[in-house]
Amino acid sequence: MSTEQHVALVIVSHSTSIAAGVAELVGQVAGPDVPIVTAAGGPDGSLGTDGGRVAEVLREAVNGNGAVVLADLGSAVLSVRAALKELGSAVDSIVLVDAPLVEGAVAAGVMASTGAPLADVATAAEAAWNARKL
Amino acid sequence: MPESSELVRLPDGVALHARPAGEFVRAAATFAAAIEIKANGRQANGKSILEILGLGADGGAELRITASGDDAARAVTELAGLVQRLA
Repeated sequence: MSTEQHVALVIVSHSTSIAAGVAELVGQVAGPDVPIVTAAGGPDGSLGTDGGRVAEVLREAVNGNGAVVLADLGSAVLSVRAALKELGSAVDSIVLVDAPLVEGAVAAGVMASTGAPLADVATAAEAAWNARKL
Repeated sequence: MPESSELVRLPDGVALHARPAGEFVRAAATFAAAIEIKANGRQANGKSILEILGLGADGGAELRITASGDDAARAVTELAGLVQRLA
């Protein structure tokens, strides 16, 4: 509903199940105001990444209130980088963060739910490296 | 800088896990004051969900909520109330 007022999260994963699960968890913890979109799995739905789908999702994200992108492993990161390069100067509003996927998405989602600006949401995601579990 | 602090108890059976911790952080973020929670001999930034989850606070655990900043008193009252109402 408040899409215009909240930074969005983009989850890029090799697995549609992982992406859907992360999005569900973040939705529970951060509440309904934070837009979460996913680009996950290969073109045929198998494990993998689909550069076209990633580019499409990021192109849509450009129109919002900024977006933080979290990716799971290697080629997911590469496909985000390639898509950002393609988008060129429009990508100021999209930040690919270096963060653990689940923890980073939860931290970023909660920060975004407070209406925080893009830079703060990105910082929250990256600070997830420092949070001990035990 | 004004500081305020209160000791509250989590309701029995309500651990400070993801959803309640998210509620806490969203409320804490509405205050300018720095917020800190102590439980189990650990300390967490009240505006960081991952730090709060790292407290491992179970239902019935005592939480020390401390705020420092101009709106500290209001923050502690509101957050202590929120913790007691968690279900």
